[in-house]
Amino acid sequence: MLLEFFHYLQSTQLAIGLRQSDYAFPLIEGSHIMALSLSVGLILLFDLRLLRLAFQGDPVSRIMHQVMKWALPGFLVMFVTGLILFFAQAETVAKNRYFQVKMLLLVLLGINALVYQLKFYPRMADWDTGSAIPTGARVIAAVSLMFWIAVIACGRIMAYEL
Amino acid sequence: MNLDRIWQMSYDSKTIDILRNSALGIPVIQSLHLIGITLLLGSMVALNLRLLGIGLTEINLPSLFRQAFRWGTAGLLIAVVSGFLVFLPDPARYAANHSFQFKMIMLPLAALLQYTLFRRVIVKHVGADVNRRFVLMPVLSLTLWFSVGWAGRAIAFLG
Repeated sequence: MLLEFFHYLQSTQLAIGLRQSDYAFPLIEGSHIMALSLSVGLILLFDLRLLRLAFQGDPVSRIMHQVMKWALPGFLVMFVTGLILFFAQAETVAKNRYFQVKMLLLVLLGINALVYQLKFYPRMADWDTGSAIPTGARVIAAVSLMFWIAVIACGRIMAYEL
Repeated sequence: MNLDRIWQMSYDSKTIDILRNSALGIPVIQSLHLIGITLLLGSMVALNLRLLGIGLTEINLPSLFRQAFRWGTAGLLIAVVSGFLVFLPDPARYAANHSFQFKMIMLPLAALLQYTLFRRVIVKHVGADVNRRFVLMPVLSLTLWFSVGWAGRAIAFLG
């Protein structure tokens, strides 16, 4: 059912035109990759702060707010360009196992971030400037760091199988 | 011994041959390359947004300067080492690629300016007027680093 819909998407004139375009497709794919620096690059800096590997002298909440102001628009660019790239080759991509793993990892990253927002964000003031960051928050940061790296790897490797 | 002979020797070596013929070797190294780039460009974006005065302005400059150079350098090293491992199995193809040639001009230029001139200008202002805004330096830095990134992408598309 879903695959039939993806098959339909992929066979629309717009998708075919996009796939075969000399410049549109490379530019959208390039933007998807360049926006990594803004989204994942900045999120990694925040993860490193939680792991006390960077910005040790700055409050965690300040790093978070400052970084997220730019990481979220960056993520929006990733999402929109990613959606267009998917649309251009929906069925082929949906069947790709690296793409499937990538989507699973993104869902898990979403849950990971949600847990942080609900469980640790409200009480950040308690440990904001100290060095005793809750173990749970550090686990979330480590998961975020590893999963984002895996997302990049899956995204890169899947292109070899398209 | 000239460079061509070094490329040829590495091309003929057993290690590079295994890499060339393994199904996942190059894709995995390309992934590392992209992870290094993300760290490098992410750090440069953070630093330059701060210098432009449009982002991360509440983080003090000395701290951001230290972290951006530390993690940016780590990213650059990952990207360069993995980049060599992508290049070595097929040097002739890359050497003939115009986008690759452009990238190999822009990369040393970006690194040279970032680690000499830009670094010195920032160091000079760290501790003095840390809130001073810059325009030319951060714009130039971002232009140089992202032109390296786009040139890398163009290797596959434009040739």
